[in-house]
Amino acid sequence: MNMLDDLLKLPGAMAAFEFRGSGELLDHRIAHPDRINESVLDLLAHMCAANLSIATMQARGWEKVTGMEGFYPIKQFTLIGFDWSVVVSGLQRENYKQAGKFSLPPFTGVVMANEKADYEAAFAILERKEPVP
Amino acid sequence: MSMIRRLLALDGVNVVCHFRDDGYLLEGYGLMSHNDMGRLAQFARDYRRIAQGNADQLAMFSGMRGWTPPHGWIIRGAKLSLCGVANLVCVVDSTGAPLNEILLELREVSHW
Amino acid sequence: MSIVTDLLAKPGVIAAGEYAYRGDRFSYRGALSEEHARMASIMCRATTMSVNMEASMLESLEPLNGFMPPRGWLVHGPNYSVCVVANVFCLLDNSNSSINEVVGFMRQALANIPADMI
Repeated sequence: MNMLDDLLKLPGAMAAFEFRGSGELLDHRIAHPDRINESVLDLLAHMCAANLSIATMQARGWEKVTGMEGFYPIKQFTLIGFDWSVVVSGLQRENYKQAGKFSLPPFTGVVMANEKADYEAAFAILERKEPVP
Repeated sequence: MSMIRRLLALDGVNVVCHFRDDGYLLEGYGLMSHNDMGRLAQFARDYRRIAQGNADQLAMFSGMRGWTPPHGWIIRGAKLSLCGVANLVCVVDSTGAPLNEILLELREVSHW
Repeated sequence: MSIVTDLLAKPGVIAAGEYAYRGDRFSYRGALSEEHARMASIMCRATTMSVNMEASMLESLEPLNGFMPPRGWLVHGPNYSVCVVANVFCLLDNSNSSINEVVGFMRQALANIPADMI
């Protein structure tokens, strides 16, 4: 089953999407077209790419200075908005890197309504071990 | 004549805006609507704070001096670029504009 | 009880604290050194500033998009996570904490904090 389809089954899920590290939106699914559209997802993807990069910089610096390891590589970044949350992950890429692949899969994200958001369930899907071809 | 207006005399400078610490547009000149200048001012103020926050963290983690406080920032786009120094921001052409001179002038004007 | 005290009582919470949006002070409790807590508060504040700017840009480009004003953010690492809502941060051990519980508690406890202080 496609990860985007599974993410869309999460409670309160409104959209699921894939994007490049540079922020370009690649693929997406929208459950509620009346509430979210491709244009918002495109902006969200660019925003989330920036946040993952900043969080990675912070994890790198924190671990170097404090010696407290366990943040890098960042598994997910989540923005908790007023009504909605977005969770994004590049974890599948780590599996590819460990397998010695140079061509990496896209980042993945899901938009959920805060009232029903199950962050742990979103993390679990995003951390699922997908086979590396 | 406003001091910041003289920045428009430099080649490739299309817009120049001066904003308050909270991002409110104080004055703006050039080829842009007043509304868009207000947005530009807000963006420049936000971007400045983010760049400063990231530079602070870089300095904190690396222990390297010389990054903070940052003097300014440049976002270079395909056709247009943004240059920010203190509470000033300019929209300039990406090709042909004398960036070094523009930055020097921005720094000088920002001290007034 | 304060929010920080309540957070520390939850399973897997290593440390929790508050930072001023202006960046001039912070307070914390838990298993972190003063210096590390200072660094954590600087990082949390910087990211909060970033997401606020991003949300306001998103709002200006796509009004009423449901993210503005942002409530907080999470960074989920292999062993630890950071959870921030408003100006309160907490550091979690992933092995024995519940992100849902912590986020739910913080969202509720900090629901009425005005966002315009940022």
